[in-house]
Amino acid sequence: MIGTVVRVGLLRMWHGRTEILLTFVVPIAFFTIFAFIFDSQIGLGRSPRVDLAIVDEDATELSREFSSALAEWETLHIYAPADHEDGLFVFSSTEPARSLVLVGTVPLAVVIPDGWSASLTGTGNDAVDLRLLADSSDPVATQVVTALLRQTSGKMIAERIQMQVRTFLALSPAEFEASPISAIARPVAIEVEDVFAADKSNPVVSMYAAGIAVMFLLFGAVGNSGTLLEEEENQTLDRLMCSDLSMIQLLAGKWLLMTIVGMVQVTIMFAWAQLAFGVDLIGHLPGFAVMTVATAGAASSFALTLAALCRNRAQLNAVAVILILCMSALGGSMVPRYVMSESLQQIGRITFNAWALDGYIKVFWRSLPVTALLPELAVLTATAIVLFVVTRVLARRWESS
Amino acid sequence: MDTTGKGSRVIMGRGISTRDQADSDFAVRILDVAKRFGTTTALDHAGFELRRGERLALLGPNGAGKTTLVRCICGLAVPDSGSIEMLGRPLPPSGGRHELGFVPQEIALYPDLTARENLDAFGRFHGLSGDDLRRAVDWALEWTGLADRARDLTKTFSSGMKRRVNIACGVLHRPLVLLLDEPTVGVDPQSRDRIFLMLDELWRRGTSILLTTHQLEEAEQQCDRIVIIDHGRAIAEGTLAELIASTVGADRRVVFTLAEDCPDLTGFSISDDRRQLVAEVEDVSLELPGLLTRIREGGGRVSDLDVHPPSLHSVFIHLTGRELRE
Repeated sequence: MIGTVVRVGLLRMWHGRTEILLTFVVPIAFFTIFAFIFDSQIGLGRSPRVDLAIVDEDATELSREFSSALAEWETLHIYAPADHEDGLFVFSSTEPARSLVLVGTVPLAVVIPDGWSASLTGTGNDAVDLRLLADSSDPVATQVVTALLRQTSGKMIAERIQMQVRTFLALSPAEFEASPISAIARPVAIEVEDVFAADKSNPVVSMYAAGIAVMFLLFGAVGNSGTLLEEEENQTLDRLMCSDLSMIQLLAGKWLLMTIVGMVQVTIMFAWAQLAFGVDLIGHLPGFAVMTVATAGAASSFALTLAALCRNRAQLNAVAVILILCMSALGGSMVPRYVMSESLQQIGRITFNAWALDGYIKVFWRSLPVTALLPELAVLTATAIVLFVVTRVLARRWESS
Repeated sequence: MDTTGKGSRVIMGRGISTRDQADSDFAVRILDVAKRFGTTTALDHAGFELRRGERLALLGPNGAGKTTLVRCICGLAVPDSGSIEMLGRPLPPSGGRHELGFVPQEIALYPDLTARENLDAFGRFHGLSGDDLRRAVDWALEWTGLADRARDLTKTFSSGMKRRVNIACGVLHRPLVLLLDEPTVGVDPQSRDRIFLMLDELWRRGTSILLTTHQLEEAEQQCDRIVIIDHGRAIAEGTLAELIASTVGADRRVVFTLAEDCPDLTGFSISDDRRQLVAEVEDVSLELPGLLTRIREGGGRVSDLDVHPPSLHSVFIHLTGRELRE
């Protein structure tokens, strides 16, 4: 009997080509857009570039060297007017750059004031500091550029100290490098190692694949569970309840159908992610499989519960859209939960989107073994079981009045 | 009303013991069934029987309790009191209805499945499988005259074709008792005739049929007996002749239409516009000349007359005081 319910569902889907399109193709299209947006911006040291205008009032060899050093940072994009042809563009006075910041053309402009080189080389009387004209609406860019200015100027100062010390001691470059003094004047070097991204293929995209997959899993499951309400409206449910089919068999069949379709949906999504974006699905197959079964099962139970709570398909659609969008936003399907506040992250854990995404992140980002997924699997499985039982209780209204 | 029989009738006794058969002259017996929904009384101690091998029409105005009664028989509603027996056994609140076929009023099919797939699915839901299922589906496609449309989606079918598949899905498992809720709603006369030919075939095989209908002529022409239900109670049951005899009697109703306003005459009732005189007569041929003479002598001039035999419609109005669709 359960098999017949599944068979009917699959046949109906087969005859409804639009439904197949909505179930399997639309999520892939949606995910692809997200992947293109975020693939080149988050993770693996590929942060978005910060626009910066340079004002060189000092106009010395050192200030030009400093400007050139800034231009070498991949993170920075040095402003140049449209009609500027080649080479680094610098303003000679502050006001034009200030105007650019005020109108929002660039978020930041660094000013190398007159006398800056002299203050660094000790020929000037007073210390002259670099100035940063900042648009405070982008505090992250200000922090990033401040750090880069410090690192660039620090490196230049260290190199000058080395040169002065070497000149003072009358050492050749090789002799200086061999001497213990060279370590004292060496600028502090930082090597960044991405412990997650190393040796992995596109874990960020896998996160978005999971996020979009879970969201569409819910939409797909709700669409499928709505057939119960259609069957109620056209009395097919009455006919079924008058046959040898029991309500528990009907619900189990619907659940199994939705879970199978959901698993196929997520698998197709990740297969596409592997083909198009290099996500390593094959390498994480066991973890992916258990997470997908548990997530699809929980989504199916959730959808059945919603259908059992609603009186008709229109009501189900309205309630489902609101609930799924809220759960997806809080649970991290739309934006990663790590960019949310701590309290919002905690609230997000009431959604099973969050648990599902945490599981997928463990699989694809952290490459943890299946045993590490036990908390997520336990929550998702318990959700599936509890919601199925709730559905069974609510479904008594369809059995007899 | 069938009084002559339409071919031989075989009453099937599948799975019924000798004792059961002795006790089960009734395919379905409704015993004092009551059902309330909140403050509304849907069934008020209703009781009647569907005899084995019988076609019974259940008539009643809207809200009379027909649908609730059908749902109680199907196990889709639980009576507050009373009991329902099928083939000599009390029916449990749910389940235990394998011998029952149910055809809902709505087209309860999967529109995005083909006719064959629908039949196959509902056959499986009724416990058929393998060769039995295949044979039943093939039979149903022939029976409905839709073998050539077996691979078409039912949503592309006409209303009459959908109705036929709708009925077929309820009888694939060869039920001994068949409940049909308004089986011919929204179909053209040709399709309706086809549906009743199909039902006749089932009846000849021994299926007991209970159908609710709003079509009085269907009840008159297609059923052996009639039960009239109103306000949740079965207020009359019997053959058409029995119902007429027990209610409006066998008298003909003669309506005289006059050319001018009617004179006041004893023994006649007068219409509101005073253009029609109405009289009840036991024997038209004997009494009609005398009536015409009395009208003429009373100053009236008859321009037309109609003779109305007693009908189910008049019985229904007599019993319920309402038209069937009220």
